[in-house]
Amino acid sequence: MSRARRFPALVRGTAPVPPAARPEPGPDAQALLPLAEPAPRTRAATRARELWFCACLPCLPLEALCTASAAFAVVEEQQGMHRIVFANAAALAAGVAPGMSSNAALALLPELTLEVRRRSHEQQALEHLAGWLEQFSSRVSLAADDVLLFEIAGSLRLFGGLKSLRRQVTTGLRQLGFTAALAIAPTPLAATWLARAGHRVCVRSPDNLAAALRDLPLACLDWPAGVVEALTGIGVTRVGACLRLPREGFARRFGAGRLLELDRALGRLPDPRPGWRAPESFRADVELLEEQSDRELLLAVCNELLERLERFLLSRQLGTQRLDFSFYHLKAAATCVSLGCAQSGRAAARWADLLRLRFERVAFSEPVIAVRLEAHDTRPLETGTARLGFGTRRPQASGASMTQLAERLGARVGRNAVLGVTTVPDHRPQHAWGVRSLLSPGADAASAVVRHGARRPLWMLPEPTRLHAEAGRPLHLGPLQLIDGPERLETGWWDDDGIARDYYTAVNPRGMRLWVFRDRRPCAGWYLHGFFG
Amino acid sequence: MRRDASSLEALLANPRIWRGSSTERPASGLSSGYAKLDRHLPGGGWPLHALTEIFTEQYGVGELQLLMPALARLGAEDPAAAFGEPAWIAWVAPPFEPYPPALLEWGLNLSRLLIVRPKDDGDILWSAEQALASGTCAAVLLWPPDLSDQDSRRLQLAAEKGESWAVAFRPDTARHASSAAALRIAMRADEAGTHLDIFKSRGGRPVTLHDIFAG
Repeated sequence: MSRARRFPALVRGTAPVPPAARPEPGPDAQALLPLAEPAPRTRAATRARELWFCACLPCLPLEALCTASAAFAVVEEQQGMHRIVFANAAALAAGVAPGMSSNAALALLPELTLEVRRRSHEQQALEHLAGWLEQFSSRVSLAADDVLLFEIAGSLRLFGGLKSLRRQVTTGLRQLGFTAALAIAPTPLAATWLARAGHRVCVRSPDNLAAALRDLPLACLDWPAGVVEALTGIGVTRVGACLRLPREGFARRFGAGRLLELDRALGRLPDPRPGWRAPESFRADVELLEEQSDRELLLAVCNELLERLERFLLSRQLGTQRLDFSFYHLKAAATCVSLGCAQSGRAAARWADLLRLRFERVAFSEPVIAVRLEAHDTRPLETGTARLGFGTRRPQASGASMTQLAERLGARVGRNAVLGVTTVPDHRPQHAWGVRSLLSPGADAASAVVRHGARRPLWMLPEPTRLHAEAGRPLHLGPLQLIDGPERLETGWWDDDGIARDYYTAVNPRGMRLWVFRDRRPCAGWYLHGFFG
Repeated sequence: MRRDASSLEALLANPRIWRGSSTERPASGLSSGYAKLDRHLPGGGWPLHALTEIFTEQYGVGELQLLMPALARLGAEDPAAAFGEPAWIAWVAPPFEPYPPALLEWGLNLSRLLIVRPKDDGDILWSAEQALASGTCAAVLLWPPDLSDQDSRRLQLAAEKGESWAVAFRPDTARHASSAAALRIAMRADEAGTHLDIFKSRGGRPVTLHDIFAG
């Protein structure tokens, strides 16, 4: 079979269109139909063993909006009327049923909380879960509005086998607050159908697929209602019966797309899935049920967001250096809190530590109703190489812990208040040094310095201060005695900060050693510029 | 008689009783670089992992010069700690700008210098405590506006925890307040030279030294 023949089928398969909208195969695919037995080339599709884990989330509309156990239901407008579409266990127990009008439900259960269905929330929750699943597999796919698929054949060894992996996914989903129907099968479609049917099974070999799918009702296949009706009309209600139909006739009556689906589910044809990749910038919101000003509670909410961020970053091997928290108020503009970190990191505990320090300084004018965490500047995580610990007197004294200290200090006293220093090759004393940030990477202390014979004072004044003079001798807590100098500095004419000064070392009666200069410009005078300390 | 001896022992067991003879020799100190001073410091140098207080009437009487040789040694690439990193030195709330060219002249490692300038007085002690206890800084110099007995105890504990040397610079007027510092030195300069009055030295004896920088 030529490559040209195989290629169109692959392209069609990658398009994530619902089955109903899938284009009917052209004459090209007709050639597939008479194949009662799988052709030799189609066996190749199953040769590379795949194992798809499907998580179907039937209660997603509920769980995306609320995780509380109180009676809660989601309503949707249908023909101008709000009807219940989903209700949680407490509401169901009280007799609230899907399809009921919201008024009827409220009459039945006055304390019922109703919420209009929000598909954007569902999508966000689904993507959040997909992001969470990426820790188990590099191939995660959003198959439908409520179905997540991920390939696990490559991850089994890492996670200690199928059983262990399944347990981790199950407990993880439960902890995240989602009810999921899980199934494992060698093809994505089979896994989806099995999960939708609520069969908690694991089919490992493609040879057992037909047997596993045989008893599934057609409703699990998500086929158009007309097709299912027509099939039911001829007495076909299960997948197994479907498979017994002649291929050619089946394709003609129900569409070649259906046959294609069956072939893919059974592994006779390849079924490539678009991989899902989370956006590399992170954003998550938590809406509080009521306005809050309790700092501990807000911190707990932030910690939850930070843990989400950690999972997000972990699955991508990313770190971030900057986080932005926004605290929304009902009656005022949002309060923004940014956290910076010299070393890109992702550990929630470390961020929480910094946040706690910052929190002591943040004044909330109003109670908070919602919290948002954003991290845009994500980058691949840098990993350092640890040194061997021979003969280290202070084993902790590494660059990493220093940056942590600088971050801690910066979080409380302000990032601009934590500095390093460096020298600048310039003859002018006020330009011969500079500050460098310890919190931005790459800034290293330059060791370039102008060598000069004269000594420099350890203390510099930020600005020279004018000294009074008496009979030509400067005064500072008594008359000064010049003991060294002059050192003439006349330079910097090329910019606006040129100097013409004679520097002297002076001593005053109190034993202070000062660095003073006489300005040689017309408005001459004595200035104090530093102490020898 | 027996009763007297036992009551004496009970008295001596009281932790508030300090006996000059029973003082253990402190661990070797960090040489100050001034032979005259080293001779009078217990352990032959600055007491590491403890708080030192230096009292001056004003800045610029040589209080930094006194520390520079020791700080240079701390920041140097120490061959004894072959795999260790050179240690950091933190300056918390210095009253003026520590001038990098001069620090370099004294042999300090500029790339290992951390300067913290808290706007709030309360943050000065907090920053110093963090730097001391982090175990990253070999020395922390601080200029607190005020230091109570309790504060000095906190700094002392943080210095012990982080194995770091804390040096607090304080005005001369505060020298009579009690403090938990291991070493307290008053510094004074006049035309004759610089004089040190070591009036508290854990494991050593009070002494007054004249003209310390002369040799």
